[in-house]
Amino acid sequence: MIDKSVATFDEAVADISEGARIHMGGFASPFNTPSYLIAALARNGARDLTIATTSASTGPENARNIANTLSEIVSWPSDYWEMGLIARQGQIRKLITSFPVGTGKVVWPFEERLNAGEAEVEVTGQGSLAERIRAARAGIAAFYTPVGPGTVVAEGKEIRDFEGVPHVLEQALHADFALVRAWKADRYGNLVFRGPKTFNETMAGAARVTIAEVDEIVPLGDLAPDAIHTPGVYVQRLVVRPSTPATSWQEPC
Amino acid sequence: MADPAPRLDPVVMAMIVVREFFDGAVVNLGIGIPMHCADVIPPDREVLLHSEHGLLGFGPLAQTSEGVDPYVFIVGNRPVLPRPGMVFLSHDESFSIIRGGHIDITVMGGMQVDAAGNLANAHAPGKPAANLGGAPDLATCAKRTIIMMYHTASDGSPKVVDHCTLPLTAPRCVNRIVTDIAVMDLVGGRIVLREVAPGWTPAEVQAVTGARLVVADDIREMSLA
Repeated sequence: MIDKSVATFDEAVADISEGARIHMGGFASPFNTPSYLIAALARNGARDLTIATTSASTGPENARNIANTLSEIVSWPSDYWEMGLIARQGQIRKLITSFPVGTGKVVWPFEERLNAGEAEVEVTGQGSLAERIRAARAGIAAFYTPVGPGTVVAEGKEIRDFEGVPHVLEQALHADFALVRAWKADRYGNLVFRGPKTFNETMAGAARVTIAEVDEIVPLGDLAPDAIHTPGVYVQRLVVRPSTPATSWQEPC
Repeated sequence: MADPAPRLDPVVMAMIVVREFFDGAVVNLGIGIPMHCADVIPPDREVLLHSEHGLLGFGPLAQTSEGVDPYVFIVGNRPVLPRPGMVFLSHDESFSIIRGGHIDITVMGGMQVDAAGNLANAHAPGKPAANLGGAPDLATCAKRTIIMMYHTASDGSPKVVDHCTLPLTAPRCVNRIVTDIAVMDLVGGRIVLREVAPGWTPAEVQAVTGARLVVADDIREMSLA
C-alpha cells in the first residue's frame, strides 16, 4: 500500500543533514510558505546548507512589520516561519536566489550573514531559477535562454546565438530535498495548491526527496484526476499542518 | 537650480503610462511606483495584470478586508481582489509566459537607463548583492518595456545617463521612459524627448538629464489623453 504521510515534521526532515542541497518553496507569504517544515529544519539544526529559493526572506521582525501594515486588509497567522529563521541560525552556507537582500535601509537576516562574510550568494533572475529547477524535475540537463547575456549572471557561461539573438546556457538545478507547501493531498502524494502555485509546484519533483506540508490529506479518490496539480510520483513525504497553531518554532511538532 | 514647475506625482505618472494599455493587453507591473498603474486603468479596457509568482488577471489592490482572499496577493505582499477569469500559475509557467513573449507591456522602476536602452535597477549602491527578481526576464522578453521612475535620484543625480555605471539588469531592453517631468523613447541608440511636464521646457529637462536628448519634432506638453 502506498502511503506517503509522515507523522511529524521533525520526522519528515530528520535525514536532512550537514551540506544538504534544498529547494525551498513559497513566495513571501504565510499562505504559501512551508512554515512548519522550516521550523523543523531550524530545530534539526543542519548546517552548511545550500538553498535555492525565490527570496532570502525578510526575517521575523520585518515580517511582523508587514503583517501590521496589512492588518486592516488581511490577517497573517502567528505560525509563520520563513527562511530568515534558518539564516539567523547560521545554517545557510549558500543561497541561490533572485532576491537576496532587503530594500532601502532594511537589512534581512541572510544579508547580515553576507555582510559578515559567513555565507555566499548566487544571484539569478527568477525566470532562470524557475526554469533550472523545472529542468531538474523534467530531466533536462541544460537550456539556452535569451535572459542574461550582457549582464553579470552570464559571466563564465556559454553564449550562443539563435536567430541572431544571444542566449546563455543555464544548467538544471538539482537538490537533495524540496520543501513545498500545498493545500490538499491524498496518500499517493497527489497535490492540489491554493492560490498562486509559486515555486511550490515548480520544485515538487526536482529533488531526490520532495516533502509537502499540507493543510489536509483527503481519502484517495476525493481529488478529481483533472484537478490534481502535482502528480504523486513527484512527492515522497506528506505532513499535515496542525489544526491548532504551534505557539513557537521551537515546539516539537 | 530650482525647478521651473512642480514635478508630477506618481499617480499622474501612472495615468501617462496607462494611456498605452490597450484593451486586452497583458501587463506586468513592478514593485514601487509602477503599482499605481493598477489604480488608474481606464474602465473601458480589459487589461490582464500578471504577477511573477503565478497570478494572471487579478483585480485592483484591496483597500479593505472586503472580498479579500488571503491567498491572492501580488509581489510586495499587497492583497489584490480576485477577478473572474483569473488564473493561478507555478513559477515556471509564469516565466514561460514572460520568456515566451506573451507579456505585452512591462512597467518597472529604474535606477539608471542609458541611451542604448540598457537598464540598471537591481543592485542598489551599498548593498552586498543585487535583487534581480523577475526583472531580467520581463525587461528582455516583454514586447514593450516601460521604465517609470523619478527623473533624478534623491541626491539630485541624473538617472537618465549616457552609460549605466551600475550593474545591468538587462541590456538594450528599454522602449520608453516615463518620469515626473518627461516622456522619452529609446530609438536606435538615441533618447528622443517626446513630452515634457506642464511648465517645463525641453532645455530645462535636458539640464537635469545625464545624456543628450533628441527633441522630437512634435514635442508636446504631457496630457492624459
